[in-house]
Order: sequence, then structure tokens, then C-alpha cells
Amino acid sequence: MSDATMKVIDLHKDIGRKQIIRNLNFEIHPGEVFGFIGPNGAGKTTTIRMMVGLIGITKGDVVIKGHSIKKEYRKAISEVGAIVENPEMYPFMTGWQNLKHFARMSNGITDERIREVIKLVGLDKAIGTKVGKYSLGMRQRLGIAQALLHSPSVLILDEPTNGLDPAGIREIRRYIRRLAVEENVSVIVSSHLLSEIELMCDRIGIIKNGKLIATNDLNEENDTDTAIVNLDVNPKEEAIKVLRTMPNIEVLETVDRLQVQLKRDDIPHLVTTMVHRDIEVYGVNVTQTTLEDRFLEMIGENVID
Amino acid sequence: MTKLFDLVRNELAKIYVLKSTWVMYLFLVALVIFSLIMNTVTDSVDSETTYTDDWETELQEENQTLMEEIETEGEDDPFIESTNMTLIEENTYHLENDIRPYGYNAGTFVLDNLFTTSLVSLFAIIIAGGIVANEFRWGTIKQLLIRPISRSTILLSKYIAVLLFTLLTLLFLIATSVIVGLIAYGLPAINPEIIVNRPEGMASNGMLSEIFMQYGFKVLNIIVLATFGFMISSIFRSSALAIGLSMFLMFVGTTAAQALAQYAWSKYILFANTDLSVYFTPYGPIREEMTVGFSVGVIAVYMVIFIIASWAVFTKRDVA
Ligand SMILES: Nc1ncnc2c1ncn2[C@@H]1O[C@H](COP(=O)(O)OP(=O)(O)OP(=O)(O)O)[C@@H](O)[C@H]1O
Ligand SMILES: [Mg+2]
Repeated sequence: MSDATMKVIDLHKDIGRKQIIRNLNFEIHPGEVFGFIGPNGAGKTTTIRMMVGLIGITKGDVVIKGHSIKKEYRKAISEVGAIVENPEMYPFMTGWQNLKHFARMSNGITDERIREVIKLVGLDKAIGTKVGKYSLGMRQRLGIAQALLHSPSVLILDEPTNGLDPAGIREIRRYIRRLAVEENVSVIVSSHLLSEIELMCDRIGIIKNGKLIATNDLNEENDTDTAIVNLDVNPKEEAIKVLRTMPNIEVLETVDRLQVQLKRDDIPHLVTTMVHRDIEVYGVNVTQTTLEDRFLEMIGENVID
Repeated sequence: MTKLFDLVRNELAKIYVLKSTWVMYLFLVALVIFSLIMNTVTDSVDSETTYTDDWETELQEENQTLMEEIETEGEDDPFIESTNMTLIEENTYHLENDIRPYGYNAGTFVLDNLFTTSLVSLFAIIIAGGIVANEFRWGTIKQLLIRPISRSTILLSKYIAVLLFTLLTLLFLIATSVIVGLIAYGLPAINPEIIVNRPEGMASNGMLSEIFMQYGFKVLNIIVLATFGFMISSIFRSSALAIGLSMFLMFVGTTAAQALAQYAWSKYILFANTDLSVYFTPYGPIREEMTVGFSVGVIAVYMVIFIIASWAVFTKRDVA
């Protein structure tokens, strides 16, 4: 794998006597979308603030394209575009004036580049309107536009789906994927709702109480993982008997519908067995164990007994 | 350096895009016009008297009339004597030093309007008190800081913007006074010598140089107040606090320093020193031993402290 765009090394943050972030370690690679998930107050925003140098680092470092945010702040930060917490812009200026304002703060951003970014986030029509009149979704878009102006290597978006409707989320997902795939940008998106960003991420890290408790590669897991299968078969009772005799299959539910859990690889075998026993198969409906379920298990907020 | 230029431009753009800033400028125009109206309706200035090439005879005649007035009306109106004596002294100074008088004109109007600079103080305080604190209030500080620019440079650009705003506003005020003055009173000579009161008595100075000097003293005063507001704004991130405290000092600072004049240490109070014009009037500073150099030194020390305090807090603190 190519060199990491951003390395978070043994990151710690204390505020007063409180340890907010402890021993955070992870890397993000070019073209990768990293989901940073955790419940409210887990420390996502605090971590992001350290990544962009808004707050001091108690211990550890964040290295962006080989530059330490602590020691080479300007070099490191010029590789980063970010929205921290809310996409706040100057309400009394138009979208264009806001972008122009931030463009002047970096080097070599042409008006053409600004127009390109506006087009990417689909704000062409509203760009001459004062930001105070924007909806939250429009401000999110302008925030992303602002973060992309200087073509950063790392894009950090703190809760970009916050306040967006499903269509808006889908759209953000589209341009984040596009940026990662076409422009090889590394993207970090934080959220407390896994389901909202699951589909745009390549990898997720789960943070709880300031500690990274798991990282998970979403692309690899699909084939090895267990699956939950809803079966539409006739006769049902016969099928249940058959299923109970098979190894590695767990019958989860028999009342409303017939639901079993098994290794994904075993699904073809299950179907052939049914057919051989003269059970009529009308439907095999595979639902993945959702990441959300396991996420909740991990953070321990949803205990299944 | 080119970045600093862009940053200052950004800051000025954010100031001048606001309607409230333009309302300030309207207030300045209104105040100058108000001053003109007061001049006209209260007869507080004599804008009728003009002088010809034969001004020496005219002045002598005027002095005679003034003397007669004292004799005939002095009994009823005790103020007439002192008012007329001042005028006579001035006229005599003109005659003795061969300085031609011109009567009331645009230049005199501009000098009379020195009081209008208080409004510039007020506006400079409002801008200085908001320029850092507002970024925190709007939440835009985060977007502003995550750029390849050091926090020191950002703070510097804001301070420069405050200074430029102050100067531009003052220039606008003077220009308004000049234009209104020209329309109302005209200008008989570009840079006439005028009579001024100095600690050592009457003296003369060029009109332009006097205007430059008087407004210069005011600007120094305004910049000190604005720097104070800027510091409070950077440290406490509250524009209300910054504006409130600076305005409080603007109103009571000088008076408080005067009230404490009996104590030797009072000369180290900032506001005992900020008005350098006292050294050029018969009134003088609050304590005898004070000199212009001393006051400039005290102002410099305070300014350095204000700037370092703003810088230290703004560059070091976590932005949450
Ligand atoms: N300035 C501060 N002083 C003290 N504690 C703080 C400060 N800022 C954050 N914290 C604490 O740090 C913890 C992490 O906060 P943070 O904002 O990083 O959480 P988050 O993961 O972004 O949560 P959310 O999903 O609600 O945005 C919280 O417990 C919070 O109370
Ligand atoms: Mg947060």
C-alpha cells in the first residue's frame, strides 16, 4: 500500500485533569474514505481539532504528508481542507464572497477553480445569495466547497450529514466517493450514526470515551462474514427439521418468517440441500448483519439478550 | 508579505460589506451638517466679517468698536470684557506681526469640528472590539485559522485593518468638513497663518499644519483606545465587553486621571498622557513635571503591553 496521507500517532489530549483523548493511532491512505464513528462526547471533534491545529496536542502527533502539525503547521495544514463541527461562514456575505475570502488565504486559487468547486457541490444557483439565507444543507455544501478550494490531500468533515435529508446525504456520499476515486483524496468523515456514512466509507474506526476501540475494513469483510437469510419455503415445518440437522446453521426465527444465520459461503449448499429434500424454495433473501448492529454491540449501548 | 496584503483586504472587506459601517459614515456627515447648523442658528461664530487688502485699518477700527462696547455695555454684561479683550489681543497680534486675517472660512470650520472626532473614536472602538470577538461569535474563527497562515499574521492583519479603518474614517470626516466648510464659508487663502494659543502665549501657525497637528493628536488618542478594545476583544472574545470597557475609559479616563492629579503616580496613568494637545495649549498636562517625551513614552509602553497581551492569548489558546 502507498504511503499514508495522514498518520495519527499516539495522540493524547487532556483538558484540565480530564483525559479526553487517549492513545489514538491510525493511518489514512490516498483515495481512502475513513469513517470516524463514536457516540456523542466520544472525542471525534476533539481529535479533528487536534488534526487541524485548532487545539494543542498533549502528547503524540499528527503527520500530514510527512509534515508534523505541531512542528510544521503551515506545510501540514496546506494539505488539509476541513469543516470542524458546523459549516460556519460569514452570514452577511454571499457564497461567492465567502469562497473568495478563503481563497485569498491560500496560494494560487483562481476564480476558475472557485467556479469548478461550486459546480462540484452544486451551488451554482445560490452562490450570489447571502449565506444567512442558506438552508443547513446549502451551508454544508458551501462548507465542503470551501474545504476543497486548495485541492487538499486530506479532507476532514466533521458530521457532514448532520441536518441533511436522505437526498442530501446521498449526494454528499456521491461527491465524497468521487473525490476519493477520481482525485485520490483521503477523506475522514465523522458521525455518530454509522448507517449514514457506512456506504461512503472504505474503513471505519470506532471511538469511545476517547479511545479507538476498533477499526474495520468494510471492503474485505463481505465474503468472510456471516449472513442472515430469510427463507420463503414450503412446507415450512419440513424445512425447519432439515435445517436443524445441518451443521453451522442457526435458526433464528420460525414464527413470522423463517430466518437463519450461517456463513455466507454456505448459502449455495443450503439451497441445494433444500432442493434435494423436495422442499419448494420460493425465495432466499440475504441480509447482511448490519455494521450498525455490531457497532452498537461494541459501544455497548444496545445489549441483545 | 503579499499574503498580509490579501488578509488585510479580507478584513476590510468584512468591515465595509456591513451596512452598519455605512450607517456610521452617514452619522459623520450628519454631525458635520449639525455643526454647520449650530454655527448658523446660534451665532456662535462670526462668519460675516471679512477683510480686504486694507486689513490693518479695518482691524484698528474693529478694536476701537470693541473697546467702546466694553465701556458702554461692560456694566450689564461682565463677560463682554473678557471676550472682547481676547479679540483685541488677537487683532493686535495680527497687526504687530503683520499677519493678514481672513475671517471665518472652511479651515476654521474644520478646526472647530475637532469635537466630531469623538464619533470616530466610538466607531473605531466598535470595529476594534468586534474584529476578533465576532469571528468567535460567528464560529468562523475555525475556518479562519485552518489556513497556511500563522495566527500571528492573522492577528496582525486584523490590527492593521483597525488602524486603516480609523485613518480612512478620519480622512472621510475631515473631507466632509472641508467640503461642507467650502460650500458654507469658502476659502480665501489656501494656507493662511492663523493665531493659536500656546503655553507661552499667542503664536501663529499655518492653517494646514494646525489642522494636521490637532487631528493628529486626536488620532493618537483614538488608536490607543482602539488598541485597548482590540486587546480585550482578543483576550475575552467578547465584543460587548471590549466595546463597553473602551467606551467607559473614553468617557471617564481623562477625568479620572485629572481627579488623581495630586498623586505623583497619576502621571503613569495611560489617560493622563493620551491627549498630547495639552502640551500645546495654555492648560498644560495634569502634572507640571510631565513632558511630551514622557507622555509618548508612557503611551508606547502601554501599547506594547496591549499588543503583546493580545498576541500571547490569541496565538496560544485552544480554539474550541
Ligand atoms: N473545552 C473543553 N473542556 C472540557 N471538556 C471538553 C472540552 N471540549 C470537549 N470536552 C469533552 O471532551 C469530550 C469529547 O468531546 P467531543 O466534542 O470531541 O465529542 P464528539 O465525539 O465530537 O461528540 P458529538 O458527537 O456530540 O459531536 C466530551 O466529553 C466533552 O465534554
Ligand atoms: Mg462533535
